[in-house]
Amino acid sequence: MADKPIQGEKRMFMTGNEVCAYAALAANVDVMYGYPITPQNEIMHYWTRLAPKHNRTFLQTEDEISAGFTTCGGVMSGKRCFTATAGPGNTLMQEAMSMAEMMRIPAVFIIQQRGGPSTATVIYSQQEVTMTCFGANGEGLRVVYSTSSHQELFDYTIKSFNVAWKYRFPTFVLGDGYQAKMRESVTIYDPEARGIQMVDTYPLVGLPGMPGVDRDPAHLRNTYNTEEELYEVVKDLVDAYEKMAPEIVEHSTMECDDADVVILCHGIVSRAAIEAVRNLRAAGVKAGFFRPITLRPFAKDALRPIAEKAKKLLIVESSQGQFAKIVTDALYGLTTPMETIFKPGLGITSDEIVNKVKAMI
Amino acid sequence: MSKLVKIALAGEGGQGVQSVAEIITEAANEEGKEALYIPNFGVEQRGGVSIAFVQISDKEKVGSPKFEKADIVIALSDRAVRRCAQYVDGSTVFVYDTAIEGVEDDLPKGAKKVIGIPAIETAKNELHPRVFNIIIMGAVIRSTHVVSEDQAKKALEDRLGYKFEQDPKLRELNYRALERGMQLVESHL
Repeated sequence: MADKPIQGEKRMFMTGNEVCAYAALAANVDVMYGYPITPQNEIMHYWTRLAPKHNRTFLQTEDEISAGFTTCGGVMSGKRCFTATAGPGNTLMQEAMSMAEMMRIPAVFIIQQRGGPSTATVIYSQQEVTMTCFGANGEGLRVVYSTSSHQELFDYTIKSFNVAWKYRFPTFVLGDGYQAKMRESVTIYDPEARGIQMVDTYPLVGLPGMPGVDRDPAHLRNTYNTEEELYEVVKDLVDAYEKMAPEIVEHSTMECDDADVVILCHGIVSRAAIEAVRNLRAAGVKAGFFRPITLRPFAKDALRPIAEKAKKLLIVESSQGQFAKIVTDALYGLTTPMETIFKPGLGITSDEIVNKVKAMI
Repeated sequence: MSKLVKIALAGEGGQGVQSVAEIITEAANEEGKEALYIPNFGVEQRGGVSIAFVQISDKEKVGSPKFEKADIVIALSDRAVRRCAQYVDGSTVFVYDTAIEGVEDDLPKGAKKVIGIPAIETAKNELHPRVFNIIIMGAVIRSTHVVSEDQAKKALEDRLGYKFEQDPKLRELNYRALERGMQLVESHL
């Protein structure tokens, strides 16, 4: 075994894509599979530079369909694997992602959202929320972390591998083009030095012994013959997902206790929202902030009492209501008035939020 | 609340604004400040205006990566001057190169200050065109104080040290460019 790639802790100044590559290295990833697409390319670039020094590997596939399935295949052979993509690549990868839901394959996907629909821009958006949370034919049995900083990209990339392998659901780190391309400070670390134990990986197929004689068959299926049979299987998947949900759901809040207006947002937009709450509070406006860190599962139980107590809600996102759909679903039955800032494919600044909140009160 | 300086650096592809932004933010990070730099990429990769958005804070982490108005805008081409008007308000110092032609009417009216500096000419006549962006770097650090001159030199050494080893004259050239850049804005501040 080569030396640990990261010894102790180290403050670095780098792009988010580089952070993801370092996080995968720190998390003891064996293989990355990938196909280039902006703005996630540098995850692959940095990984291919770092990996050989530490006996890790990389395979560039012929497209994203293949990158998704090779990642699933690598995981089935017992390796800690991931891939990264964006936009149209995320679209193409949905088939493999839904297979991972059906067969409980603990694959990790890093998504750096770009503009949509279609090719659109290579820059930034939050328009891959619906697709990342609920894409493909299925029930959205995925874990999705929406990060807002380089530190979170590092922390949650490591966490994703552990959550995936502990609970065996496909797990996603949902970043965006800003996080991918910007540089800011981050402290990278060896997980063990912080008491984080990487969950052991193991092969899902090719196990020793005769199936049915020495052991139960592995029985990884994604095809069923009857409606009833499928129904039982999906119900079991949903039960397992719902049992896991309270153990992994995460959110953060700021100044919600006495807030007249609670701002709801996720990912990098929360940086603007935090600034906005600080400025509004300084101006005597009672604003608060709620941010789900896991978009799937969603922190419904934490949000409802806050939303009920607030006088007004403001949903802010860089898409046309994809996040709002998740929120309104969670808040069904409440009557707290709600306003929105929807900016599909466009960055949001704190000033816009401040002005909107002031207009609401 | 800690002090935050917002800088928009804009020029043509190849003028080196992105490397200046990279060096300055790395220097600020080395000084223990919090820096955030995001390049405006996309179509600009194919020869449009290239903008670097830089924010440097004394202590606290920087908020959203893009901002509406900058404390200082540096525009190095005619298109950059026009494109950057949107980042200017009453508290913005707007710096442009006096060699840019035909932008007299496009210079922002409401800026706190508009400063013309002969950076392109200085690079060409006094130093070398390849250190043009280092002159700009000098102008940025003198007008914002986001990093010290020493730290800026150290950052240059970190980045170009291997070239300086091969040709020590390059070190001198870069240091002089940095100092000239600082001098160019000095009298206007």
